[in-house]
Amino acid sequence: MDERKGVDRRSFIKTSAGVAAGAAGIAAGAAAITRAEQGGLGGAVTSEMLEPTGSAPKEPIMAYVHDARRGEVTVLAGTSETTYRDPDLAKRLVSAATRRLTGGSDVIAP
Amino acid sequence: MSSHREAPEISKDPAADNADVYAFVSPDRPDTVTLITNFVPLQDPPGGPNFFEFGDDVLYSIYIDNDGDGKPEISYVFNFSNRVRDPNTFLYNTGPIGSLNSPKWNRRQFYSVTRVEGDDTTKYGTAPAANGHKHHKPKLKTHLLGRGLACPPCNIGPRSTPNYPALGQAAVHSLPGGIKVFAGQRTDGFYVDLGSTFDLADLRPFQNLHLIPSAAAAGVDATKMLNIHSIAIQIPISQLTSNHVKPTDVMSKHAVIGVWSGASRRKVRMINGSGELSESGPWVQVSRLGNPLFNEVVVPMGHKDRWNSLYPVDDKQFAKYVQHPELAGLLPVLYPKVFPNLAGLKAARADLEAILLTGIPKGIVPGFQNFTGSVPADQLRLNVAIPPKTSNPSIYGLLGNDAAGFPNGRRVFDDVVSIELRAIAGATYPLVNKSYTPDAAAGKLTEGLTPAANRYQGTFPYLAPPQDGFDVPAS
Repeated sequence: MDERKGVDRRSFIKTSAGVAAGAAGIAAGAAAITRAEQGGLGGAVTSEMLEPTGSAPKEPIMAYVHDARRGEVTVLAGTSETTYRDPDLAKRLVSAATRRLTGGSDVIAP
Repeated sequence: MSSHREAPEISKDPAADNADVYAFVSPDRPDTVTLITNFVPLQDPPGGPNFFEFGDDVLYSIYIDNDGDGKPEISYVFNFSNRVRDPNTFLYNTGPIGSLNSPKWNRRQFYSVTRVEGDDTTKYGTAPAANGHKHHKPKLKTHLLGRGLACPPCNIGPRSTPNYPALGQAAVHSLPGGIKVFAGQRTDGFYVDLGSTFDLADLRPFQNLHLIPSAAAAGVDATKMLNIHSIAIQIPISQLTSNHVKPTDVMSKHAVIGVWSGASRRKVRMINGSGELSESGPWVQVSRLGNPLFNEVVVPMGHKDRWNSLYPVDDKQFAKYVQHPELAGLLPVLYPKVFPNLAGLKAARADLEAILLTGIPKGIVPGFQNFTGSVPADQLRLNVAIPPKTSNPSIYGLLGNDAAGFPNGRRVFDDVVSIELRAIAGATYPLVNKSYTPDAAAGKLTEGLTPAANRYQGTFPYLAPPQDGFDVPAS
């Protein structure tokens, strides 16, 4: 088999991430960050960038509620990690998380 | 062990487990320093069909602090990737591997080397420090030294890797600026009697004196037939010192560099199912190593994982474990009546602080210093103005009147276990308190091992080719 057609783990990860998150997901994430920088991840409440680190996103974007009480959401993209203060988004994510605590994966239409 | 499986979390992650670091003036190129950092410890040579390799999801770094502030001004960063020729076979190789581009070699590994410069190169792609320090946007300069550099295969056996030394030598790459680099499997150079060490700190040559005694015996070298993965880089000294020259004055502050290494993983890994993974976020350090045995023997169990996540500049909080090492208290208990003076030594161990955390200031050992200043930081400190000792070097390094060896950096054959045992037992305390008389046993402690010559070679990368899986273990 031609080596150039072989499989390497990085391309495999990249490919699988693309399947998992999808180009639309990445684009949506990038757009969300842009919105956040312009004034709000959740739209209603201004997001405040707290700890900027690395460079531009190239991989799947992941986010988690960093501190629900303080309304902080951390977004990981590429080697960047940015924590935003967005109480409205944090509240909605926590609400979504506590809606179903039975385990497993579900897709719930909005 | 030196730092093999030394902390609970990293013991589950061999690809990122930093097992040994070496730093020495190259004996055959004394205008250069050789830095070696080892990972994937305790490899059983026949361990296939998925043989050992570096993590393509791990960022490996070797750090150099050349101004004594505890932070690295230079680092060399290594990224690995795998290439599989044919994913439809389970085989590592489909025939003899005669060269690094052999079509019979199915799963190969390549890497890049980047030099990073700045005020604190730990910030290269990393997350905010776990200690809560403000993470300022780093001002770093990067220079890609090489990419697509081939690793050698693992040493499988005479049918698969029939001329292994040639394969290994082909994987020594020359980079711009007079740099050499190698990354791949080697025989582990670190020798230790694991079986006795972890059996209540037994030392077989002295076990007749142990609290639970048995007849004295020779040491057992537990790692002599095991392999490891080494990253070795040989760099002109002038590229590492703060004033960019090769110093000749041993007493010059510019003559000492601090060296350590680390491994980092992405902050988030998501298992997507169907064998798929996604990773994201900055690099987060999961392993580091400067002085051998520091995290293993000095740092308590409950702090080892956190220690691995921190950088040497944060080591002040661990100084108390150096000042009052647990092992110094255990020796008089485990070897009754052998260490009465050590049992009475309650003062903070300034000698160990110097050896492990600051370097030894001038005026302590005649004609020697490797002091980097008052910032306590676990680093190997190498005085690069001290020439290599090419004739009859002492495996006991500075304790054996050989200033070219540990704790002046660390050579591949230095008996770091005996050196540190002797130091902790009080043999070096008179350096800071001349009124103290070490116990007679302190300067004689040993595991009874000498390094087998076939573990090393006289030229870069100095660690010998790996043991092959066909012949080891022998029937």
